[in-house]
Amino acid sequence: MWSVSDDALVAGLAAGDTDAASAFVRRFQRRVFGLARTIVTDDRAAEDVAQEAFVRAWRHAAAYDPRRGSVVGWLLTITRNLAIDAVRVRRPTSLDPSVLVGLDRAGTDRSPEDLAQLGDDTAQLRAALGRLPPEQHRAIVLAGLFGYTAREIEGIPLGTAKTRIRTALGRLRAALVDQEEAE
Amino acid sequence: MSAYSCAQVRDLAPELALGILGGAERAEAILHVNGCARCQAVVGEFAEAADALPLLAREVEPPPGFEDRVLATLRAAGRRNVRRWIAAVAVAAAAAAIVSITIVRVVEAGNETTPQAMQPAPVEARMVGAGGRSAGWAYVTNGRSLAVAVDYGVPSGTYSIAVQPRGSSAVTIGRMAVVEGRGSWTGRSGPELGPGATIALIDAAGGETCRGTVRARS
Repeated sequence: MWSVSDDALVAGLAAGDTDAASAFVRRFQRRVFGLARTIVTDDRAAEDVAQEAFVRAWRHAAAYDPRRGSVVGWLLTITRNLAIDAVRVRRPTSLDPSVLVGLDRAGTDRSPEDLAQLGDDTAQLRAALGRLPPEQHRAIVLAGLFGYTAREIEGIPLGTAKTRIRTALGRLRAALVDQEEAE
Repeated sequence: MSAYSCAQVRDLAPELALGILGGAERAEAILHVNGCARCQAVVGEFAEAADALPLLAREVEPPPGFEDRVLATLRAAGRRNVRRWIAAVAVAAAAAAIVSITIVRVVEAGNETTPQAMQPAPVEARMVGAGGRSAGWAYVTNGRSLAVAVDYGVPSGTYSIAVQPRGSSAVTIGRMAVVEGRGSWTGRSGPELGPGATIALIDAAGGETCRGTVRARS
C-alpha cells in the first residue's frame, strides 16, 4: 500500500500512523540527508539536522497544505532552514567551489528510476543553473541554498550581489515556466 | 500599513522569496505584500524558483540505522505529547469541574494540529471514486482522529467530508479543498468510526465524489 502518493503519506503521518511514518522517512531520507550534508558539510551534524527535519515534518504534518507546494519541497525547505540555523554560528568565510559546481550534476549513485524521476522534477532547473555565468551561479547557490544574505556574499558590492541574485533567480524561474509549458 | 512602496518591495522580492532578508526589511516587505496582490504575485513567482533550489542537492544515503533512530524519536515525541495532554487535562479538571467541557475542547482542538502518539492506526479506508478507481486514503486513529487524502481523479473544488458509522446516519464533520486532484484534511469525527463506517467526499451539488469503507488494517 506504500505506493501511495506523497500527500497521502503526510496525511498518515498526521494521523500518527507508524507505517506511514516509516514509509515517509524511507521515501525522503536520502534527499533530506543529502541536502543537510550539502549545507552543514559534516555527517554527524547532517544526521542531527535530518532527524530534526523529520520530527518537524511530523509535528506540522496536519498543517501541510498541498496548494502551497509539493511534499518534497515542503520537507526540503524545513531541512534547509534547520541546516542554515545549524551552520550560522560557524559559517565558513568561503565555500569550496567544487561543492557549488557539484550541484548542477546528478549524483553518480542514482538508480535509473531515480534519474528518470530527477529528469521530471529538476532537469530544466538543473540545466538552467548550469548555464548561469559562474558569478550568478555562486550568488544564487550561496543565497538560495546556504542562506547567505546579499551583504554576506563576499568580495562584491552589495548592489552587485543583489543584481546577481535577482538575475539568476529570474532565469531559474523562466526555466521552470518553460518546463511547465512543455508538460 | 507598510512604509514600503511597490517599487521597493519588488526590488526586494528575490531576497524575500529566498528568505534572506533581515528582520526589519523582511517585516516591512511582508506587511506590504499581505495587502498588495500584485506584489504578492511577483514574490510568488520568485518563490517558486527559490523553493525548487533545495531539490538540486545531491541525494546521499544516510548512516545505517537512521530510519530506526528517526522513528524512535517520533515515538518518544508522541509519548511526550500524550503526557502533556493528560497532565493538562488532569490539572484543569482538578481546578474546577465546570471547565471540563472546555478542556475537552482544547484537547480535541489540539488533535487537529498535533499528530497522535505513534501507534498502530487501527483502521483505514481506501477512497474509491466513480468506476471503482482509487482516489486516495483515509486513516482513523483512536476511533475519532481522521486523516483524509485524495490524490487522483477528484475535480478541483471544496468538498464536505461526511462520515457514517455503521447503522447510524451520516454527519458532516468538515470541508476539504481539492486543487489539481490533490487535497488533504485532518480533524476529529464526532461519531466513532469503527470498521464498516463510511467516509465520503460530497461536492457542492450534494453528489458523492468518492467513498471509503473503514476496515481493520491488514
